[in-house]
Amino acid sequence: MAARALTKGLLGIRNTRLLTVGYSRNGHMYTTAAHVKSPQNRINSNTTDKILSQPLETADFFRLSELFSLKDLFDARIHLGHKKGCRHRLMEPYLFGCRLDQDIIDLDQTMEHLQAALNFTAHVAYRGGVILLVSRRRQFSHLVESTAQDCGEYAHTRYWQGGLLTNGPIQYGPGVRLPDLIIFLSTLNNVFQQHVGIRDAAKMNIPTVGVVDSNCNPSLVTYPVPGNDDTPAAIDLYCRLFKMTINRAKDKRRQMELLHGLSAAPTPS
Amino acid sequence: MAGSRLEKFGTVFTRVRDLMRSGVIKSSDKPIWYDVFSAFPPKKEPLYVKPQSRSYIKKEETVLNIYYREDEIRAKFYEVYGTGPRVFDLSKSNFFSTCERFVEKYKELKCSGKLDEAALFEETGKALLAEGIVLRRRGGPMTI
Repeated sequence: MAARALTKGLLGIRNTRLLTVGYSRNGHMYTTAAHVKSPQNRINSNTTDKILSQPLETADFFRLSELFSLKDLFDARIHLGHKKGCRHRLMEPYLFGCRLDQDIIDLDQTMEHLQAALNFTAHVAYRGGVILLVSRRRQFSHLVESTAQDCGEYAHTRYWQGGLLTNGPIQYGPGVRLPDLIIFLSTLNNVFQQHVGIRDAAKMNIPTVGVVDSNCNPSLVTYPVPGNDDTPAAIDLYCRLFKMTINRAKDKRRQMELLHGLSAAPTPS
Repeated sequence: MAGSRLEKFGTVFTRVRDLMRSGVIKSSDKPIWYDVFSAFPPKKEPLYVKPQSRSYIKKEETVLNIYYREDEIRAKFYEVYGTGPRVFDLSKSNFFSTCERFVEKYKELKCSGKLDEAALFEETGKALLAEGIVLRRRGGPMTI
């Protein structure tokens, strides 16, 4: 009875608001605004929200701490810094000590920073972010580019033109999508000055992950990883770790989507 | 899209947060990394640090030098015998060099016997000779 009265009242506004009134089994009323979203779409956005928010609740959702250990870092010579004269003032908190004038980087701190950086990368990759690997070291240019290709992300190991990020729409065309994360395998350019990309990323509000050696400036890097950036073994390790994290994150995303029933639209071949 | 290009004020996160709070960036345009950053912030805020030119103030030593007690023994060994007969093979992570053997033997003899410094040095040399490692003094005659 009360329900019928309510329907009569709603009839007046039905034409203007196009509300459809329905009755569930236990007698409560619910309305669905039919023209705004179809029920299928609303369920999709709800599940997407759940997929996106669930990983943020666990500290190590992608179990990245099992990818590397302190011994691995030591064997890859990540603790070796430059000589005392090359030391940057802001890197002093990250140094363990100075052995015969060569700076030794504190690997305990590096472990924590690396864990944080890999975790951030994984979450950004999980959410479908565009990741750019940058390194101006010609020795590792090929390695960085092939790493980026293997994980389906992007790399820039050539000369950084001034307006790459800051003048993006003009250089690449309107509506270009800038990277959501920039990973620096070496934060210095070929004349031992800070890479322009760090300052540009901070300008464009893009977070950065960077391997900072004892002669680098870690202040503008969002997630610095104090460590050696000159030894091939060290860069090998970093590339492998980033590749594994990004692949893991993307696989996890596919898995979660399948789990929640959101199958990806089949691409026409 | 709206943004703030002031990298010297605040961090990337604070700028985006304030832009969203003031409504310049709509919440539909929220960057992908925003939630991740708020859930897992870095250990130190990535603030811009002005390059300080304080060359007139003497810098205190914040980074300590790393020295071990065995360094004294090693220094004496290198002064007397040079690098030693065996080449250093750094590709092996558990490589035991001649100098390290000397240091081990020296510490053993120091713990066991009651010899003084100079005698201890000679005794270690003799002990290593007994094991088969020939130590040539620096500047001495070259053996083929």
